[in-house]
Formats: sequence, C-alpha cells, structure tokens
Amino acid sequence: MTSLTVLYDPDCGLCRRVHAWLGEQGQLVQLNLIPIKTDEARHRFPHLDHEVTSKDLTVISDQGEVYFGPKAWLMVLWALVGYREWSYRLAAPELLPTVRRVVSLISQHRYQIGRVSVFRGE
Amino acid sequence: MTIDIATYLLYLAISIGLTIWVAHTLHKNGRVFLVDVFHGNEALADSVNHLLVVGFYLINLGYVSLALKLGYTVATAKEGIEALSSKVGMVLVVLGAMHFFNLYVFSRMRRRATTRFQPPPVAPDAFTAVREA
Repeated sequence: MTSLTVLYDPDCGLCRRVHAWLGEQGQLVQLNLIPIKTDEARHRFPHLDHEVTSKDLTVISDQGEVYFGPKAWLMVLWALVGYREWSYRLAAPELLPTVRRVVSLISQHRYQIGRVSVFRGE
Repeated sequence: MTIDIATYLLYLAISIGLTIWVAHTLHKNGRVFLVDVFHGNEALADSVNHLLVVGFYLINLGYVSLALKLGYTVATAKEGIEALSSKVGMVLVVLGAMHFFNLYVFSRMRRRATTRFQPPPVAPDAFTAVREA
C-alpha cells in the first residue's frame, strides 16, 4: 500500500480544518484528498456507493480496500509519521468501541462543530 | 597525605572508573541496537553511538566534578570511608539513572524505526475497483 485516498466533505468547516492540518503532517503513506460526490471521486471509484460517503469519512487504498467511519479515521492516523503508534493504540479491542462512539458523534454533528470559530477551515 | 586528600583522590578514582565502565558497556551493547534502528547503516550507527557516549561522559564527569566538595573536614579513617561511601553512592545512582535514560532513548528510536513497516491497524470494510486519476 503506497497511497490512500481520503473522501472528505468540503461543505463542513471541521473537515476543511482537518484537510489543512493533514497538509502540515509528515506522511508515511501518501494521502490524496478528494471532495465527496465530485466527478473526480466518481471517476476514480466507479463501483462505490457515493451516497454513503456523505455519511462519514471514507478512505480507499490504492489496492481498492475501503475503510469507512472509525476505521477511516484510524487509517488516516496510521498514514501520519507522528500518529502511527496512536492508530494501533486506538484500534485495540479495549478502545475501539469508544473510538466508534466518538467518531460517529463527531460525524453526525460535524456541521455544528464546524460553526465554532476555532474549527472553521477558512 | 591527609585523610581528606586521600578521600578525594579515592572518590575521583572510583567515580571515573565507574563512569568509564558504564560508558564502555553502553558503547559495546548499544551498537547492535543502533545498527538495527538505522537498517544496517553501520557508519551512521557508529557515529550516533559515539555521540551518545560523549554526551554520557560529559554529564557524568560533570556531575562527579561538581559533587566533589565535601563541605566538612574528615578526621578519621572511619569518617573518610563514610564520606566516600555516600559520595560514590550518589554517583552510582546518577549513573544508573543516566543508563536507564539511554536505554529508553535506544528503545524509542528502535520502536520509531520499526513502526514504519507495520501493517494497517484495522481490516478494510469492503473492496472496490480503483481507476487511475
């Protein structure tokens, strides 16, 4: 696996903030960010259900492995130099249920969180 | 030679001897670790190993030298041995702490180097066809 494509929601401030933050991080695996439901996303992944990608973060490897929601967040951490160790820690069976809850909470409320000025990705 | 001076000289001899022994142990056994961390790049491993040992010497000999002064006069041989014992004891504790710190640095470097090749933390949810951009 040499690169990961991250399908993110460009309409949410939090997602844009994270997008900017990812650009500043050292990457062990190359991250390509593509906005969801765009022509580019549909062209790259013709058989993917693109409606689902608007519900939560989706990450797809260059081998076609699809990671959705909490797993997608863990894969993004795994790709970063400074956070790979954390991806293993958070993926441990003791912590994964909590990660699932927190991630789904953030994803559901991402537009509200995005309105808080600190997270606005302008 | 008074007992004072004998105590100081013995203190220096024992402390410097111990520092050299610990630094030598670190230098000899740390190399294997570093060669692994730097993926078999022996020149780089030797260089980092040497630099670490220099730092180790500087800190320990600095401490030995700063802690030399007794602050009171030693009249009898008994007092001399007691003073020597407490001074050398402190040097041993500092050496031990430095040694464990070095081990921590080595293991951290090693862990960092090995995570680079570790597989993803989770299994994929599905598979899909990918078209080139």
